[in-house]
Amino acid sequence: MSNDLDRMELNTDVEIDPQETEDIDLITAVNRTLHQEMDRDESVRLLGYDIGPLGGVYRGTEGLLEEFGKNRVIDTPLSENGIIGTAAGMAMRGERPVPEIQFMGFFYPAFGQFMYAVVKMYKRTGGALEMPMTIRIPYGGGIKALEYHQESTETYFIHTPGVRVICASTPAQTKGLLAASIRNDDPVIFLEPKSVYRGIDEPVPSAEYTLPLDEARIVREGSDVTVLTWGAMVHQAKSAATDVDADVEIVDLRSLSPLDIETILDSVSKTGRCVVFHEARRTLGLGAELSALINEYALDRLKAPIKRATGYDVHFPGHDIEDDYLPDDERARYAIEAVMSYEF
Amino acid sequence: MAQEMWTEERPPGDFYRILDPDGELETEAPEMDEEELLQLYRTFIATRVLEEKMLNMQRSGEVSLVARTLGEEATPLGGAAALQPDDWIFHTYRQTPALLYWDRPMVEVIASATGREPETIAEQLDTEDPAVNFSPDYTPIGTNVVNGVGAAMADAFNDRDTVTMVFTGDGSTSQGAFHDGMNFAGVFDVPAVIICQNNQWAISEPAHRQTGSETFAQKAAAYGLSSARVDGNDVFAVYEKAREAVERARSGGGATFIECVTYRMGAHNTSDNPNRYRDDSEQREYWEDRDPVDRYDTYLRNRGILDDDTETELRDEIDDQVADAVEQVRSISNSEPDRMFDTTLHGESWRERHQRAELHRELNGKNPFVDFTGEGFNE
Repeated sequence: MSNDLDRMELNTDVEIDPQETEDIDLITAVNRTLHQEMDRDESVRLLGYDIGPLGGVYRGTEGLLEEFGKNRVIDTPLSENGIIGTAAGMAMRGERPVPEIQFMGFFYPAFGQFMYAVVKMYKRTGGALEMPMTIRIPYGGGIKALEYHQESTETYFIHTPGVRVICASTPAQTKGLLAASIRNDDPVIFLEPKSVYRGIDEPVPSAEYTLPLDEARIVREGSDVTVLTWGAMVHQAKSAATDVDADVEIVDLRSLSPLDIETILDSVSKTGRCVVFHEARRTLGLGAELSALINEYALDRLKAPIKRATGYDVHFPGHDIEDDYLPDDERARYAIEAVMSYEF
Repeated sequence: MAQEMWTEERPPGDFYRILDPDGELETEAPEMDEEELLQLYRTFIATRVLEEKMLNMQRSGEVSLVARTLGEEATPLGGAAALQPDDWIFHTYRQTPALLYWDRPMVEVIASATGREPETIAEQLDTEDPAVNFSPDYTPIGTNVVNGVGAAMADAFNDRDTVTMVFTGDGSTSQGAFHDGMNFAGVFDVPAVIICQNNQWAISEPAHRQTGSETFAQKAAAYGLSSARVDGNDVFAVYEKAREAVERARSGGGATFIECVTYRMGAHNTSDNPNRYRDDSEQREYWEDRDPVDRYDTYLRNRGILDDDTETELRDEIDDQVADAVEQVRSISNSEPDRMFDTTLHGESWRERHQRAELHRELNGKNPFVDFTGEGFNE
């Protein structure tokens, strides 16, 4: 996918010096960032299963065990609630754990610890105990995997107070956002679009850098219609934008919670049209919130109703019809064309 | 109503004990000097007086809910007394003696039950941190087992000789979190002591409906942990086994699981009515004969460490302390409503700014919904 990506169009919000960059894919960016952050801060510890000798099922932690040892790269029992709960205990004692949940569909057993301890402790103690932990989760479809390996249920996290939800869409974004997440004192759910893991190489600065955790990114400026999206869908949206008769502005939300509402409202107020484009199921997906937000604060700027091009309200289907479920550049194009054709 | 006599398959008498129900030593007492022995006594009495006072405050509506430790005080007390300054306790809602033993201020204990936001309490109370560190108390049971084990993992990885003690109950052993925590404790050989305060009732569910195993203690074997089963109403027995476990943990010997067999004399909490599910007159009599405070009181008197004068003096002192704490709690003002937004995330978001403003408008009798541009409330 996204082989048509024009490297020069990448907006990473950082000056890229081609002399000091390396062309890497998204999962390699994860690996480089974990290495860098573990180097600069001894309290950063990775937890998860298969993250040690195997280096993670996607190789995100490859080589880190050899470099940092088993007390920093902690191969755990196969227990999501145990991983998140012990990471929470470590965070309460001044560590900066970075647990990995192997697939988003495996997170559900950990919801107990997530809700009871991770997102609540800072509030419960009136700020006395902080929870600086970054939970890495590969999410989304597009890789023809098994059931519960394709989930895009970020809404569960976004609905929860006390946690940041961050989603990276490119290798350079990943490095800056993951570093910023690990250094942040809030718990962070860090979503990695696994269909992009090996899909794109781009120049990523070798030096350390962080990207803001509360700002959306204008991927592509346009004047006719705003596409609000994140993760893997950013690339599908870019493809769609080149294929429609409209000047499309693409906003990569990056921070799904809290939202950069000013950027969203500014863009929609400028274009007057909006498509929300996400992999998640439609009902109560983030698109529902975005649509409500725009209705509340920019209704009189709208030239057409907001459309949501999303996954359907079904369980993620089997391989044979996965492509029919998943939103792609075609579905995005239809939605853009629809809102362009509408007249009040 | 079905009569639930003994809730476990194995009789409760089958455990480690030092001080018998009559206050006589069955075996050698732990090495403690007179001051330490009196400190245990003081904590017993302080717990009963404080919790009685809180019960009254609940009845008068000052606090919403109280869960008492009545009849099972020896377990948290004996456990906590085995710790050293800088150790950690991850506790639930029935460990008042552990808090008081390590001088967690009574005023904080009461204030935390008044429903005020923690920031309000922290701002208006000038209290010092106790010598032993306490997690906030946990109400979702089992959760603290995993967090405590995680804390102990952090100690192990940092080569600190801190020990983490986790208190949990018979009911929580049915929770996945309990098993997650026990398993991690075994796999990572952590410096932790997990104490199961088996008071035989999880609200209305008896212990035998929590497990098919003969005892809770034997669960430790499945995780490769050391274990003990002790008389939870014998403060010496709990202390002695906890001390051994703390020593083992501190010297790198890994985690221990201790089942303390005791009995919840009262209701689960002030909103519970045990008459609906247990007819416990016979059990009650059995456990009243084994009351941890009476037993210990007799021992101290037999040793000549306690007499009526000392007791009166001590009770007066505690009454004053509790009265003083209650007065201080009553002086704390209610939280400002927008405190609810504090300490959710670091920094500030558009939503937070906006919703704070909406709340203020609502509180001022104004319409919070008049922003149609997202530009705030300009007036």
